Amino acid sequence: MIAVIKELWTYRELMTTLAWKEIVVRYKQAYLGIGIAVLKPLLLTVIFTMVRSFVGIDTGKIPYPVLTFAALLPWTFFQESAAASVNSVVANAGLIKKIYFPRVIFPLTAVLTKFVELSIYFFLLALFMIWYRMAPSAHAVWVPFLLVYTALVSLTISLVGAALNVYYRDVGQMLPVGINLLMYASPVIYPLSLVHKKLIVQQAAGDWSHLLYTLYTLNPLAGIIDTFQAVMLRGDPPDFQVLWPGFVATLLLLPLSYAIFRRAEAYFADVI
Amino acid sequence: MAIIEVEHLTKEYRLGQLTKVGDTFKGIAARLRGRKPPERKAFKALDDVTFSVEEGEVVGIIGPNGAGKSTLLKILCGVTRPSWGNCIVGGKVAPLIEVGAGLVGDLTGRENIYLNGTILGLGRKEITSALGQIIEFAELEEFIDTPIKRYSSGMKVRLGFSIATTLKSEILIMDEVLAVGDMAFQRKCFDRMENLIKTEGRTILLVSHNMRQVERLCSRIVLLNNGRVIEDGNPKKVCDLYFEQSSKKIMGEYNVSGGQARNLRMTGEVILHSLSLLNEEGEESDAMRSGYPMVIQAWFDCDRHIESPEVVFGFHTPDLIYIASMDSARLMNKPNFREGKNLVQCVIPELPLIPGIYGLRVGVLDRYRREMFYGESIKTFSVLPGDIPVSKTAALGFIDIKHEWHINTNSVSLNDDVTSDTATESLAR
Repeated sequence: MIAVIKELWTYRELMTTLAWKEIVVRYKQAYLGIGIAVLKPLLLTVIFTMVRSFVGIDTGKIPYPVLTFAALLPWTFFQESAAASVNSVVANAGLIKKIYFPRVIFPLTAVLTKFVELSIYFFLLALFMIWYRMAPSAHAVWVPFLLVYTALVSLTISLVGAALNVYYRDVGQMLPVGINLLMYASPVIYPLSLVHKKLIVQQAAGDWSHLLYTLYTLNPLAGIIDTFQAVMLRGDPPDFQVLWPGFVATLLLLPLSYAIFRRAEAYFADVI
Repeated sequence: MAIIEVEHLTKEYRLGQLTKVGDTFKGIAARLRGRKPPERKAFKALDDVTFSVEEGEVVGIIGPNGAGKSTLLKILCGVTRPSWGNCIVGGKVAPLIEVGAGLVGDLTGRENIYLNGTILGLGRKEITSALGQIIEFAELEEFIDTPIKRYSSGMKVRLGFSIATTLKSEILIMDEVLAVGDMAFQRKCFDRMENLIKTEGRTILLVSHNMRQVERLCSRIVLLNNGRVIEDGNPKKVCDLYFEQSSKKIMGEYNVSGGQARNLRMTGEVILHSLSLLNEEGEESDAMRSGYPMVIQAWFDCDRHIESPEVVFGFHTPDLIYIASMDSARLMNKPNFREGKNLVQCVIPELPLIPGIYGLRVGVLDRYRREMFYGESIKTFSVLPGDIPVSKTAALGFIDIKHEWHINTNSVSLNDDVTSDTATESLAR
């Protein structure tokens, strides 16, 4: 673990340069520039708000648009970074066939570049909060941890995905679709409190309720989104009951995903 | 201490398509049942290759297409792993496998220099300090802030070459990179390479099909064929061996009288029936001796009487650089060809070619200089050393010019036909 970080540290300059290249290339000939990046969570917020006006989702005292945008912020970051990261190895086939450096730099860089868009989402969130006259609480110190955690979750999926994608390009196409579906299993459109109410308070699934709730929180995004909303909007401390199942799962799966990637990487240049 | 050590290197590729998902599952199923999964045919790109490179050596790697040259370089850069064997590289490698690897079209030249530099493992400061030099060598001052997708291919190559050779790295690996750029830039690249070799003592591995360049630049050449090392050693010798092999491949089992042989142009009026070379003893041979007499002897078949034809014999190198032509046009009265067989002999009193492999071309023109028969590489022969001792430097070139040396003597006497007094004086001084 420490050896991995040490090796990556020696390549920090390469990673920053590659990340900078990615960002420059992404926005060089786009006249709307980085502005286009904000459209996605913003549009989704609008759509969800409209949908909510028909079905009615209880969000407590927090206005629905800001709550949902606060959910979409970590969610979009996760989704975009995982998608970019899965395709990063294949996208850099030219480099892979010609020059050697640890291949893990590609997915890692892909995730890093998404922090740029993330900072813009934060700017928008700030606008939302000013509009609704809300202020983040002192618990917001948890935010950096949450973001690193989100990046790690994204890597857990994308390392193994990127490696598989070299062999089977279907993975690069299918994974984003799968992640899209995962959104409905995450508290994006609805707050986690509704799930909690249904399963824990009302025991809707009978004896299975607690198990189902744990299963739900096994999705790291459930914990991430809920905690983000808690510390930024509700002024509550993180609910570790929600955080730990996903966190443990990530801690177990990330090394596995990395190991698979390392095993596959020796043959990237031959197969790609 | 060798900077590159390669031992029993073997690289196998599977032939055919990448496995389908179904095949993969079948393979997994077979493995689960404890059986071996169905194997696809393996292809050995490299087969038990062993050699080492000392620091400061310039090693050329030559061989026909598919010999394993690029695979070898890829393993040396760490891009791919060998199936078996070891490869130890003791230094920072700047790979130049196809110039322009890692150049990004949307970035400007300057941005690309930074990107490529970091990819080659350099810090920002080092790159900044070398920036001016790189731009100057690539002759891109005007265009350095233009995205390189707008560059011409020559400009890209110039930039790539300039980056890789300016930035310091102990080992430089080049795959067919000198074949690009205009003549002036090629010349410049060549000088830069010689400079790198002589003054900086960098270790260089060079793959090229340009035998002349490889032979000149390298201190050693490795010849690969079908993934094996065929020969490893003195550039001239290895190049000649390669030329010999290639010529044989080109010639195949060429039959002069066959008439349908390749690379021939003929009208049918005259056909080369047989061609032989006679050595100084008058014996037919494919090996001549430098500085000794030699006879080129050809039988031509004519379908009718041909008045005063012109016969041309010429020497060329295996890569078709024409060296000399012997032309019967210089005869005042050219004899006629009879219907049927005609014998033509061309006597060379002292063969001026230096040792190596050469080809022979033959042409026959009618008296209006219309081509009736022409063919190149009709015969390949070797020239062996004559009496003149062959030093290393003497091996460069093709021709052994007859000459004398006068060192520290005043006895230079020029022939009477030199009339200019000033020339005589300056030479005498």
